[in-house]
Amino acid sequence: MISLSNVYKRYLGHHGSDWVLRDINLDIPGNVSVGLVGRNGAGKSTLLRLIGGMDTPTKGEVRRDCRVSWPIGLAGGFQGSMSGRQNVKFVGRIHQGDQGLDEIIRRVETFAEIGKAFDKPVKTYSSGMRARVAFGMSLAFEFDVYLSDEATAVGDQIFRRKAIKAFKERVGRSSLIIVSHAENIIKELCQAGIWLNEGGAQWYDDVNDALSDYHEYSSLNQEAGQ
Amino acid sequence: MPISVNQSLRLRTPWQITRAVWYAMFMREALARTTADRFAWFWMLAEPIALVAVMVYIRAFIRGGRHITGADFVPWMIIGLLGFFLFRENLQRSLGAIEANKGLFAYRQVIPVDPVLIRCFLEGVLKSFILLIYIAVCELIGIQLMPANPLIALYHWWALWCLGIGAALTLSAVSELVPDVKHVVRIAMLPLLIISGVIFPLNYLPYWLQEYLLWNPIVHGLEGLRLSFFDGYRSLDGANITYLWFWALSMMALGLMLHIRFLHRLKAQ
Repeated sequence: MISLSNVYKRYLGHHGSDWVLRDINLDIPGNVSVGLVGRNGAGKSTLLRLIGGMDTPTKGEVRRDCRVSWPIGLAGGFQGSMSGRQNVKFVGRIHQGDQGLDEIIRRVETFAEIGKAFDKPVKTYSSGMRARVAFGMSLAFEFDVYLSDEATAVGDQIFRRKAIKAFKERVGRSSLIIVSHAENIIKELCQAGIWLNEGGAQWYDDVNDALSDYHEYSSLNQEAGQ
Repeated sequence: MPISVNQSLRLRTPWQITRAVWYAMFMREALARTTADRFAWFWMLAEPIALVAVMVYIRAFIRGGRHITGADFVPWMIIGLLGFFLFRENLQRSLGAIEANKGLFAYRQVIPVDPVLIRCFLEGVLKSFILLIYIAVCELIGIQLMPANPLIALYHWWALWCLGIGAALTLSAVSELVPDVKHVVRIAMLPLLIISGVIFPLNYLPYWLQEYLLWNPIVHGLEGLRLSFFDGYRSLDGANITYLWFWALSMMALGLMLHIRFLHRLKAQ
């Protein structure tokens, strides 16, 4: 269960700042996968970062009583001059010390399928290879909730299908919170939905309702614009 | 709620997590430093050694002010430079530490004070190693560099290290909040090297000026270090290691407070 109560968020800048999120109150159950929808700039990624604890709300509180992953596919923490294996080792050590480290490394290696490149410096990787290692790294650890920010959009077709399959295998054991503009992926993987609009968040028990409300609203807006 | 396979993730205490993070970051920093290019490990040792050698040579070439009561000029200067570099490198490496590790704050376990402490630790270990190399090499080629009071020398070396850690903790936080501070610190380093009595003895200066220079805690550390290295060395009047500790501990406390108070702003991308 992840609960957000009275969460406000804004980013301070030199040119004033508007609230990105205003008075969000959500209870996300532990065993339900959720899709976040909304137009660009609606605060989907911000909300995901708050849920993951990478960022703190300006006001309000986020409570997590389960293990929440970092956003899947995050490659920002890679050290370029170190090999893929060494980078995985680092993250493994942070999360659980030296025990079970070999198992984690083996899982990432088999998932990523980049062969010998696993022992080459990460700076020599293509973006697709990076994505494979980063993705494999998130899946190698057992989390209750996985966060994903457009992560399934990287990599080639085979990898994309593999990623979705990996997600599906986790259903039951863990749940997902996804930000994606690919609606088929959201429909395929999520049961519930959250629609972010003008700083507010609306919870839907059925993800299809969230998507249809979102579509209705954006087509209305388009008409009003014309 | 599904029962998780790997319970060990949840059962860790904060201290266990911190230790795991420190260990992982230390290995990472050490590896990154040594694998940056083919000769990285070589330059890690050779650069400071060469730097000191060049400074000593230049200073020996200029001459003047070479008479130091109770100590030979070259070892006197080597000790001063190494002590000063210990402080300076701790500070300068840490200034970039938070920026360089921004990507890691996505993992909730890592907080901004971790990379600063790890870099200070790594830097201190490296510099201590270099000091030992210097002592060994100088002994071999006949320059007297064996400390007269090894334990006291260790204590002063440790004090300078702590001063560097204190400055690093404080300024790493301040320079993230106010980026301009970084430039000021870099500019201040050369004047600081001169007024700390690293390359020429402060004894030559008039007394009224010495009084002001003694405000600088580094002077106290360096003079203490030299006193413990050279038997019968005539130090500056008023050099007092307690004054340095006052600075070191105050800056450590202030730095840690800043890191706690501004945790979220330091973490923000």
